Amino acid sequence: MTLTAAKSKSRRRRAFTKGDRFTLSMFIGVPAFLHIVWVWIPALLTIALSFTYWNGVQLSNIRWAGLANYDTIFTASPQFWSAMRNNTYWLLWFSLIATPLGVLLAYQVDRRIRGHKIYESVYYIPVVLSLAVIGIIWRFMLGPTGLVQVLLGYPGIEDAIPIFGNYDINTYVILSIASWRHIGYIMLLYLAGLKSVDPSLREAAAIDGATEWQSFRKVVLPAMRPVNVIIIVITVIESLRAFDLIYIIYGTSTGWPILGMLVFQNIYGQSASMLGAAYAVILLLLSITPIVFYLRTVFRDDV
Amino acid sequence: MSNEVKENGVSRRTVLKGAALGGIGLVGGGTLLTSCGSDEASGPVTFTARTNDETGLKIAQALADAYTAETGIQVTMQGSGDTNAFQDGISQYLQGTPDDAFQWMAGFRTNFRADQGLLVDVSDNIKNLGDQMPAGFVSGATNPSDGKQYIIPTTWYPWGLHYRKSTMSELGLDPENIATWDDFMKLLEGTQKKGLIGYAMGDKGGWEAMGTFSILNVRINGYDYHIDLLNGRQKWTDQKTIDVFNQFATLIPYMNKNFLDISWDGMRDLLLQKKCGAMMMGSWWANDFLAKSQEDYDDLWIVPFPEINPEFARDSIDAPVDGVCAAANGSNPSGGAAFAEWCGSEAGMLAAQGAGDTSLYANSRLDTSGYDAFNKQKLAVIGEAKNVMNFLDRDCRNDFAGTIVGPAIQNFLKNPKDVNGIVDSMQEAWDALPELS
Repeated sequence: MTLTAAKSKSRRRRAFTKGDRFTLSMFIGVPAFLHIVWVWIPALLTIALSFTYWNGVQLSNIRWAGLANYDTIFTASPQFWSAMRNNTYWLLWFSLIATPLGVLLAYQVDRRIRGHKIYESVYYIPVVLSLAVIGIIWRFMLGPTGLVQVLLGYPGIEDAIPIFGNYDINTYVILSIASWRHIGYIMLLYLAGLKSVDPSLREAAAIDGATEWQSFRKVVLPAMRPVNVIIIVITVIESLRAFDLIYIIYGTSTGWPILGMLVFQNIYGQSASMLGAAYAVILLLLSITPIVFYLRTVFRDDV
Repeated sequence: MSNEVKENGVSRRTVLKGAALGGIGLVGGGTLLTSCGSDEASGPVTFTARTNDETGLKIAQALADAYTAETGIQVTMQGSGDTNAFQDGISQYLQGTPDDAFQWMAGFRTNFRADQGLLVDVSDNIKNLGDQMPAGFVSGATNPSDGKQYIIPTTWYPWGLHYRKSTMSELGLDPENIATWDDFMKLLEGTQKKGLIGYAMGDKGGWEAMGTFSILNVRINGYDYHIDLLNGRQKWTDQKTIDVFNQFATLIPYMNKNFLDISWDGMRDLLLQKKCGAMMMGSWWANDFLAKSQEDYDDLWIVPFPEINPEFARDSIDAPVDGVCAAANGSNPSGGAAFAEWCGSEAGMLAAQGAGDTSLYANSRLDTSGYDAFNKQKLAVIGEAKNVMNFLDRDCRNDFAGTIVGPAIQNFLKNPKDVNGIVDSMQEAWDALPELS
């Protein structure tokens, strides 16, 4: 940093009036305070609790456990590895199928293909629903006596074909349901990004004789870099934090275990133990990597 | 209190005095001490019914109204909403601002929370009930860690094979006389041959199939082995436990294929709609049959699960006791305890019965000769057993039953050939549990 820059900076800082300082400190201080109180203190407490045995009621019963909870998770919890597998499926499915489909749709809609307004609305509608609502809708549709069962010709409970409890297909069914919303979400984000790409770039590429694919890969995609990063991070985080859809469909019985469910099941209520805290820490560590990556990119682009 | 109401020979005042004393004796209830004034025992009481269905709420409201009519104490009743969610959240609920009294289950689920100081000691209320409360219920409600009671037993029900008399007679089958396992298999086969589900199963909730596991275990290995297994004194990897799973596997071909897609209410509906033969379940939902029609209710029947090992015959049964607890953190804990006591008294039982509760009552004053045929049969089914259990997830640590046994049995149902792998992982999980504190 040169001397002049430092000087101008310090001069600028001195130019703040008292009122400015108050406003600024409120703008920064209040959210920072709330963030620390509601996010980081609980997170740090959770990390501390993950090294203890405790049932969540009387603080006097808390005992030091060392790494025992983690040891139990890695060596004596068959559910953990199924959950890791399911979260990985979720991530792969979103990364390889749902997110690319959303991007493709956004690209097509942006090109104003015929009926693009209809596609846009149709794919966007599920996005306004929370995953919990989506879970309820599809549970009713696919569950015994649901619409899909009736249409397939199995209206009774007794002959309803197993779907959510059928381990040959339930992974695909759940991931398709989750994609139903995710595709629209990605489409929307990408569409917003595409609108900001200067159309003359694409025109120039077309004049230079680039094919559609070439102009997408070599022109649009690089111009969309900030949006691409956001989309990758969202895909990863959505895959890791998945919970609501599964809770609605399976309840707490972990019919299709995922990490978020194991956190809930082990820390909440009747079965409270700090295994849940340890699961939460594992989830935190897995999620924090893409978040750090995301923040670094966003801030680098902003500065 | 100016108007003393005499009830069952015990004046309300002594009852309330007992409740207040019980409250003071409680350890760890910091908030309790501030709210435990002697005059508050007569204050309004709030009451959570552990139910979400119409019949259950009607019964709970009738209890509240009858108590108000008798004592002049206002009772505000509310339903718990989804009962699974209420059960899951009970520790959090009791640490917050719970209602003064709530319907709950005896066994580990009560005792564990009592040890944490979340429940009011109702030992004195039980004493007030005197000979109304049969000794068996008192011992069933006793917390082994301190010898005190924290729940007032009100109702109970047996787990057994439920079926519809009309369905069985149409099929020409006689479930009343199943002497051996082979007879039972023939019955299931007969039902299935006629196009019905032999053995209804819905284990989406993860606990429903525990009933079948428990009964098979006590039939094959006996009561002591079962209780020891649930408390870690026997091993899941023991050949005796494996035998139980293998026996369980022989039932799977007679089950509906969507057993992991439906819950207990799906099973009930299968029976209600005459789509299945036998259904292994506790009889608490018989009210729903009565709510549908008297004819459906009269058609419902229960028999004990058949004998397997002659050494143990049919000497054990799951017959969970439900009751009412008082929350230590409620705003009126002694009032809650007094209300709980009243729910366990003859007057409380009669109020519930009048509102359509078909349960068996945990009160010796209640005239069992007035029971309908189904209730008499339920009593007979319990009566023939020497050992009464509370159900697997009430006889066992919650952090094992819910998170380990439930998913393990679900795994077993979808993959019955992998018994060894499943019991290995169950034993590993048990061995990794911390000591209870």
